[in-house]
Amino acid sequence: MKKVFVVYATDNVGTAVLEPIQTGDHVGCNGERSDLEVIAQADIAYGHKIALMDIAAGDTVLKYGLSIGSASSDIKAGDHVHTHNVESNRGRGDLAERNAIATE
Amino acid sequence: MSEFMGFHRPNGDVGIRNHVLILSGTVYANGVCERVADTIHGAVPITHANGRCQVAPDLRVTRRFLAGTAMNPNVGAVVIIDHFKEEGMTAEDLAADIAPTGKLLATVNIRGEGGFISAVEKATRYAQDFARQISLYRREAAPMSKILFGTECGTSDTTSGLASNPANGLAGEILIAQGGRMLMAECTEWMGCENWLTEKAARPAVAEAILAGVQHMEARALASGEDIRGSQPTGDNMAGGLTTIEEKSMGAVKKIGDSPIIEYLEIAEAPTRTEPGNYVMYGPGMGAESISSMAAAGCQVLTFCTGGGHTSNHPIMPTIKVTGNRGSYELMRDTVDVDVSGVFTDEITLAEAGRIVYDEVERVCNGYLTKSEALRDNNSFAIHRVGPSI
Repeated sequence: MKKVFVVYATDNVGTAVLEPIQTGDHVGCNGERSDLEVIAQADIAYGHKIALMDIAAGDTVLKYGLSIGSASSDIKAGDHVHTHNVESNRGRGDLAERNAIATE
Repeated sequence: MSEFMGFHRPNGDVGIRNHVLILSGTVYANGVCERVADTIHGAVPITHANGRCQVAPDLRVTRRFLAGTAMNPNVGAVVIIDHFKEEGMTAEDLAADIAPTGKLLATVNIRGEGGFISAVEKATRYAQDFARQISLYRREAAPMSKILFGTECGTSDTTSGLASNPANGLAGEILIAQGGRMLMAECTEWMGCENWLTEKAARPAVAEAILAGVQHMEARALASGEDIRGSQPTGDNMAGGLTTIEEKSMGAVKKIGDSPIIEYLEIAEAPTRTEPGNYVMYGPGMGAESISSMAAAGCQVLTFCTGGGHTSNHPIMPTIKVTGNRGSYELMRDTVDVDVSGVFTDEITLAEAGRIVYDEVERVCNGYLTKSEALRDNNSFAIHRVGPSI
């Protein structure tokens, strides 16, 4: 089985740092979440992320145990997780006011 | 609590190295500095492009970099050389800043000595005397709480945020648990994860300063025509798999651990507080300027986390390169000190990687040479500019 790396126990994505993943591969986890296994729904290049579980649109994408953005569409376990289905919650002019309030 | 063996300075600081510093006050004294350092056993030249025709705020920053480097506990003696009497930047000005440390100190003015040859002679005689005097200094036991541990990342890749940086944060926590302090600069990399930092601020003023620092750096970049937020993550970053600015920034700031942030520092400013914990400093992502600002703040040792295999090494602050990329480690074996890529294959846990990094830091504090130190590849002294040359 191919392996991705999961840095923190609460993460819902893993990173392909050991080998690239092809569609249909059975994928397990090194680091944390060795209990989880998914079937890749897309090719995952070196350094890219795979969903370890379903992530609904609007839900938080977690890496390092922290938010790296929100799902912009429903993500299924095994999907490639990147700019096409995740949006940043930071550094966005349209959200600047909300972020300013959040940091007060 | 563990101890290390270091050089006890008159002001209570403890160094992990014992250098004679040949410090150039201005760009035009660099030649004399290098000639003197060539002659003297163990002498380290500090040369640079500054000290002349700078606006006052910029000159003040340069002076903090130069005086701070000389005040670093790793320096046992200092010979300062200037070429003329620069307002605000004479050898005597620098000496006045450095003198409270109580270390051996001398100044030489090239014009005052009647030119290059006489200045080299006078400075060489000072440096010879100092090198012999400090050779009598012996390492003595000191608590790890005396260590100010700097940390940097550069030439980062996918492995950096997943292995070397978090391992480094855990190493910092081991030091902090013994009363030590960890310092992180590069506020350009705090963008996108300001909240993660401000939540750790020990006092509201620290949180406010962190936010103001990020905004200030962003405004400076904007004034030059560069929108940092719009360009981050970069196209390369995205091709490499990084999706958002917060993902990139979190990977970078994870090189400090979860301890409180005790103090926010201006660039090259020494901490005024001594509580164990994390300290953060305003400054650019540019590696040489960033690590030089941390050496000027008094860091005795620095870890440089690098996925791609960086070559940075500061002349007086041992710079330990840590990578999570096994390929980079194999390729740059004479340059990269520590490989923690075993976390990806489950050969080691992240906690064990943190211990491996900490153990290397402690060995280097006790005198173990880093790979770049052994090669004397002292490439990374650089001064951050905050104003134009006039």
